[in-house]
Parts: sequence; C-alpha cells; structure tokens
Amino acid sequence: MNIAVLIKMVPDTESRLEIVDGSLKEDGFKYMVNPYDEFAVEQAVQFKEIVGGKVTLVSLFSDNTSIDTDLRKMLAIGADETIVLRQQGYRGDRPSANARILSETVKKLNADVVICGVQGIDYYQAATGPMVAHFLGIPHVSGVTNLELNGDKLTASRQIEGGLQIIETPTPILITAQKDMTKVRFPALKDIMMSKRKPFDNRDVDTKEGSDVLTTECSLPPARGGGVILEGDGPEGKVDKLIEKLKMEAKVL
Amino acid sequence: MDPFHDYYGIEWYLILLTWSAIALGSHFYQVGTVVRLIRLGKDDDRFNSWKQRLTEFLRDWLGQRKVVQDKMAGYAHALIFWGFLLLVSDIVDLGTGGFLQVLLSNIQLDGIWNLIVDLGYAMATIGILIALYRRIIIRPAKLKGASIEGPLILLAILGIVLTAFIVEAGNMIDKGGTNYNSWEPIGVLFATQMEGMNHDTIANMVDISYWVHMILIGGFLIEIPQTKHSHLIGTVPNVMFQDHSPMGTMDPMQTDENDTAVKTDDLDFDNLTLGVNKFADFTWRQLSDGWACTACARCQDVCPAYNSGKTLNPMQIVLDVKDYGREHGSLLLAGDEPEESIVDRFTPDAIWACTTCYACVEACPVHIEHVPKLTDTRRHLVMEASDFPEELQNLFNNLERNSNPWGLGAHTRADWAEGLDLKIGEPAEYLFFVGCAGSFDDRNKKVSRATAKLLKKAGVDFSILGEIETCNGDPARRAGNEFLFQMMAETNVKNLNSLGTLKIITACPHCFHTIGKEYETYGGKYEVYHHSQILNELRKKEKLKIKDFEDKVTFHDPCYLGRIGGETEAPRGALGGDLIEMERHGTNSFCCGGGGARVWMEEDADKRVNEIRAKEAAKTGADCVAVGCPYCMTMMNDGLKSIGEDKQVKDISEILLENLEAET
Repeated sequence: MNIAVLIKMVPDTESRLEIVDGSLKEDGFKYMVNPYDEFAVEQAVQFKEIVGGKVTLVSLFSDNTSIDTDLRKMLAIGADETIVLRQQGYRGDRPSANARILSETVKKLNADVVICGVQGIDYYQAATGPMVAHFLGIPHVSGVTNLELNGDKLTASRQIEGGLQIIETPTPILITAQKDMTKVRFPALKDIMMSKRKPFDNRDVDTKEGSDVLTTECSLPPARGGGVILEGDGPEGKVDKLIEKLKMEAKVL
Repeated sequence: MDPFHDYYGIEWYLILLTWSAIALGSHFYQVGTVVRLIRLGKDDDRFNSWKQRLTEFLRDWLGQRKVVQDKMAGYAHALIFWGFLLLVSDIVDLGTGGFLQVLLSNIQLDGIWNLIVDLGYAMATIGILIALYRRIIIRPAKLKGASIEGPLILLAILGIVLTAFIVEAGNMIDKGGTNYNSWEPIGVLFATQMEGMNHDTIANMVDISYWVHMILIGGFLIEIPQTKHSHLIGTVPNVMFQDHSPMGTMDPMQTDENDTAVKTDDLDFDNLTLGVNKFADFTWRQLSDGWACTACARCQDVCPAYNSGKTLNPMQIVLDVKDYGREHGSLLLAGDEPEESIVDRFTPDAIWACTTCYACVEACPVHIEHVPKLTDTRRHLVMEASDFPEELQNLFNNLERNSNPWGLGAHTRADWAEGLDLKIGEPAEYLFFVGCAGSFDDRNKKVSRATAKLLKKAGVDFSILGEIETCNGDPARRAGNEFLFQMMAETNVKNLNSLGTLKIITACPHCFHTIGKEYETYGGKYEVYHHSQILNELRKKEKLKIKDFEDKVTFHDPCYLGRIGGETEAPRGALGGDLIEMERHGTNSFCCGGGGARVWMEEDADKRVNEIRAKEAAKTGADCVAVGCPYCMTMMNDGLKSIGEDKQVKDISEILLENLEAET
C-alpha cells in the first residue's frame, strides 16, 4: 500500500509571539510538526507494518532548514522518505494555494491513501486536506478518530454531535486525522539515527495563486488582569467578602 | 594426644587428602565459573592508582571501616573476620599434622604463633556469639525475612572454633600427664576441663573434633561460591577496585582514546549498545557486585523507594544480577541469551522507582554500585526499547523543544530577573547558572531573585546566560535519555566557553553536580559553587551581615549537595549554624523523592517519599525547613502540606535575605 502523508510545520506553541505594525513577526519562531499530522504519520506507518508498502512524507515550507531535525523524527517513526517543497515566501494561511502545490507532488506518488491532520494548529483553517482531495479528484473523509483497514477498503469513524459515524470507503481516499486517532510512538534513538540515512528530498517550487483569505489585521489577546486576594478577619471574614463579591460584582449568586 | 593416626587401617592423611581434593576441587571449579561469568562483562579499566587502591583496601577491607558503622552487627563481623585472619594458618598446621608448629619451633616463634591463633579463635567466638544473639534473640526487623542460612552458618563456624579448642586441649593432655601450653590460654581452659576424663574418651573427642573441624572447613569451601558467603572472595575485587570518580558521575555513551566523550554527531550507532538489557552489557565490576553482597540490607534500610513501599529494593537488584548469572550460567557462558532479560529480572517498576539519591551506595560496606545498574537499564528502556513511563515523553519533548522540563517558552527564561538589572551574557567574575526551576517555576523564581539580590548586595560581580541557558541535562540523563543529556551538555559547554566565565554559582545541586563534575568529559571545565558556599564565604567576610533568626530552623540536605556533592558544612555555615538537626542529616540525609527525574513521574498517593521526609522535618519542631535545592523545595512543600503541617519551606538565600541587618 502506497501512503502519502502531508506534514505542515507550524510555530511551536511556546514561541515568542509579537505583532509589529499590524502583522505577525515570524523571525523568532521555532517550528514543530503539526501534532495532528503526527497522528497521520503513525497511522500510515501502522498500515505499512500490516500490509507492507511505502510511506512518503510531503511537506511544503520555506527554505528554513531548522525544521529538518523534526521532520526526520517522522522518518524515525517509520516513514520511508520525505519530500520537502521549498517555497520562497511560504505562508501557512493560504490553504488553496498550498493545496495546489502539494497536490501536484502527491499526484505523482500514486498513493492509495493520503493522510494528513484535520487542521494546522497555526491558523486552524482545516481546509488544506479537503482541497488537496479536490485537486487530486478523490473523495475524502475528514476528522477521523479511528481508521481501520479491511482488505482493500477503509473503515473510518468520525465523532459527530452525540454519536459516531462510521464510513466505509474504497481507495484512493484522503483522510484527515482528528486528535487521538492513534497513539504516536516515541522513536528509539537508534531509529532516529538510522533515519538520517533515509531519503530527504528538497525540491524548489514556485508560488501558486489561490483564492485564499486576506488577513486585514492581527492582534494579541488582551493581557489577563491579575487576581484579587481578599483580605478579611480569618477564613469566615474572607468567605463573607467572597460571597459579597459573587453577589454584587460577578452577579452569579 | 593427637588425631594423626590411622583409621581402620587407612592413614589419616590419605583420608584428609581425599576430602581436601573434593572440597578444593569443587571450590575452585565453582569459583572459576563465577570468574568466567564476571569476565563476560564489559571492560572497565580500574587497574590504576595502585597505591591509593592498596590504602583503601587496607582501610575498608582489612580495617572494616564501613562495616563497623552498624555498631553491633559491624563489630561482631569484624571480630569474626579478624579472628579468622589470625587463625587461618592453623588450618595449614592441622592439615599437615602439626608441621607448621615444628617449623616455627625451630625459630622459637611457635609460642607467639600459638597465642595469635588462640586469640583469633577467641575473637571469632565472641563475634559469633554476638551475631547469633542478634539473629536469634534480637531479630531486627530487616532480618525477619532472612533465610535460616545465616544462623546455620554461624553455628557451623562456631563448630569450627570449638573443635579447634578441643584438639588444642587434647594436644596438651598425654598419657604421661598434662603439659599445659601457656601460649594457648583458651586451650588450657579446655584442657583443665578435660583433664580428669578417661584417656580413651579424650582420644575419641580429639579424633571426632578433628574430623568435624575438617569436614566443616571443607564443606564451607564448597558452600562459599554458592551463597552470600561468596562475599569472602567477592569483596576483595570489590573493595580493591572501588569507583574513583566522584560519587554520582555517569559514563558517557562512548569515549575516545583520551577518555573524553565522543560528540553526539560522531557516535558510532552501528556498533553501540545503549544501556543494559543483557548480562554481558554490564561492566565486569557491575557483575562482581553480586558476589560481594552479603545481604546485610543496609542499602534497603536507607532506600527512599523501598521505604515508601515501592517495588524497588536495591539489595534485591544486586542479588538479582548474581542469581541471574547463576541460573542462566551455562547458557551465558555458551554465548547464548536467556529468554528472560535483565530488565525482566529487575522489573520496570523497580527500575523507574529509583531517585538516584545514592544512599544505598553510601551505606554499602563493600562498595557495591547499585544506582548505575538502574540508570543503565533505564538507558536501554529509553534509547533502545522506547518503553518508559508516559510522563517522561513530555519531559523529553519539553527539554528538546524549549530546553526546560516544563516546556515553557525558552525566550522567557530570564523573565524572573525583570527589574533586578542583572548583566545578561556579559563577561563577569562569576556566572549565575540559574537552572530551569529557578527560571520557570514560580516558587523557585523567588529563590533566584533572593540569591541575585544577596549577591548584588555583597558586591559580587556576576552575570546570567539569559535565553541561551539550557537545562544542564540531569533529568534527561537520570531518566535514561543519555543522548538528550549530551546534546544539552554540548550546548551549555559551547555557550559557557564562549562567554569565558569559568566560575559558576548555582542554587541547584543538580546543576552544581552536573556542570561541576560531569561536564569536563564534554569539554567544559568549570569551578562550580553552590550558592550556599558563596553565601557562607560572604557571611564569614561580613560582606553580608545577618541577624540571629527568630524562627527555629532545620536544614534538609539535598542528596546532590550533601552526600553526593560532599558539602554539608557551607549551608550550615551560611545559615549561622544554630540549627535543629533532623535525625538523618548530612551525608545520611534522606531524599525528598524528587531526584532521578522522579519529580516528573507519577507517584502513588500512599507511597510518597516526600511525606516520610516531611514527617522527619516536622518531628524537629522547627518553624521553618531550610532547603538548598529546587526539587527539595517543591517536594518538601508538598510533603508538609499533605501531612497537614503548615511549616514554611524556604531556601537558604531567602532566609538570609529576610534576616539581613538593616544598613546603618
């Protein structure tokens, strides 16, 4: 089974976030593999371990090579090779343009299954996966919480409001992985070292046009005000003050 | 009267020769097997510093230095040990039909020799009686589960001693009368009791005693390699080849010809075994520990994991190595692998319970190294098997990503110092290596601020690394992720060396140990001070003037400062010396439960180490528990709270800052 996994490199959640002149300052960012995509890699490797085949990772990013170590970790989990599409001026908030570029490469891989995370934790658009399916001309099942292989068919479970939807689908198919689709393994050190010998193919690509969103303004959430420490005579006095505040200020009592 | 005659027509020496051949043959065959098993272990070159080793051997083995730290059992053992050393030549004499006696009488030394041997027998007797009294009458709690082997062996060696006295006494009595040898006072004592007896009875007693004596000695030779009495031999290499590196230091994954660590980029993973899972993955010295162990259980008594009810018992770990070797001996020697691995034998629960506090190593009279056995199996579990507690995955990811265990943004590392106007990344006389807890944990940030304020107050010229500081790597390392540790060590060494400040102050004993004692092999040689050492000096020089405290204070020694770091005076000096001590303090301090990356792992509510220590602190009646380590700060705080005590836990620097004398 040929499986392609799309990987988005997203800013580390602990990166320094600064807005300069209304736009995001990105040069201080550290990047990491989008956690939803890690589920996708793990699931793909598990399928490969059952039925054999090949797992190819495809990622679109700038020419910043600081991401390579983290991408290699995905190889250490068990993927076979990585293709990194290097694009000048890459941006994470252009699902349509990015999906066009990704689909061109994925198309040539003749994948039976394409898996990617349900969304990137940078812009939370949840759009790239389905758009890639569109450009490939294959169906997709999004937000899958459990995926099983039954012969040449896949059974996908989706968590929906108040229940579970089970979908059986033939291949080729694109699946977007919801949180906890599977448990991602921690690669052993030897696997990490051996992953350095796996193919890591950097390819330059041009920018594509897409009907994407235009960001008009960025701002940081307002800083949280500090808490208030109640003063009073002993615990009773403090509790009285608290009740008064809950009644008068918070108006919850 | 002597036993050296024929028995039913067979000469006594033929019988003895046969028995000796059986006993010695069995003994040496078994010892040979043990030696071959130990030689399966990896190299560990300890064949150096012979003068030092010999001195240590005389002090620790012959002198029983650590054995006698447990007063009753220790002196009983020492008496038996010294006694047998004095009397051992008598076995040669008895085995040769009195040849040694004749030889020595030619040079007039027989009398002195008789006295020495008699003294040896007497010392052994006293030692054996004390030991029997302890095992049968007192029965300390830790001996409750001990096998019957102990008392039986004691009775057997008591037999050896008593029979020797009877033979000695028999020698003095003859048909022509009794010829007391006053060089053998105890023998004389026995002879006066036997004198009136029928001569045939005496002759029979001497014969029977002689053969019982020889049978027991031979039996003992056969038994030694099979039981804990292997320590009679095993302690010799163990004590002689004790570890000369500072306590707590760990070995790199791979070293080059200069004994420095091979850089992470150059590690030869194709030919590298990471950690221990097989018997032969241990070094020979790790293996020899098993045969040196006497099961005295001193390690068990001091182990925080064992005492809080966890699966780990350090003594069992050591005995496991030996038992595993014995049970699978033929397979191992044939070069095959038993189905059961070393990790299976230790059990993962036990492996992950260790706080790496080294109390077991400190307590062991024969220099057994328990902790590396556990940290080495952790290395295997993390780096080879990728099978470890889930919490640690977060720890590793956080350290890798943001170079601190909490995974908080690395760029916020110096936020604690806001408003203090500190030098950041500039050359200065000292570098204050803050560490992760001091940088990211709210409670411990206050400690960093207090330390920085005191240093400034005293006019110390220092700077901090700021954002580029990373964890020293200790939590990753003690949790088995040696690779991650080494990456962090390499980063820190690079940054520290490029700053060029070689004198380092830290408020964290784990930084103190790792940077001071471990970084050299990764290319960084620094003078590292715990802040208590600097504060103690500043106080002595009156650069800091501290009032007498109103609070009663007790000090909890951190493992990596006191026992492992060897510094127990400076914190006390800094605090002014007027402390209430806990029963276990200084190098015998009891761990808070946070070391060995345990602070990042789950701990069952009914098995908390910190509660044991909190109770000990509470017992002192002090108002405030002083600490000198961020882990201790967290663990002691939590421990005191969960036992319902509202004592305050404060770092040394906080207490000093609060009690600074007002400027005049």
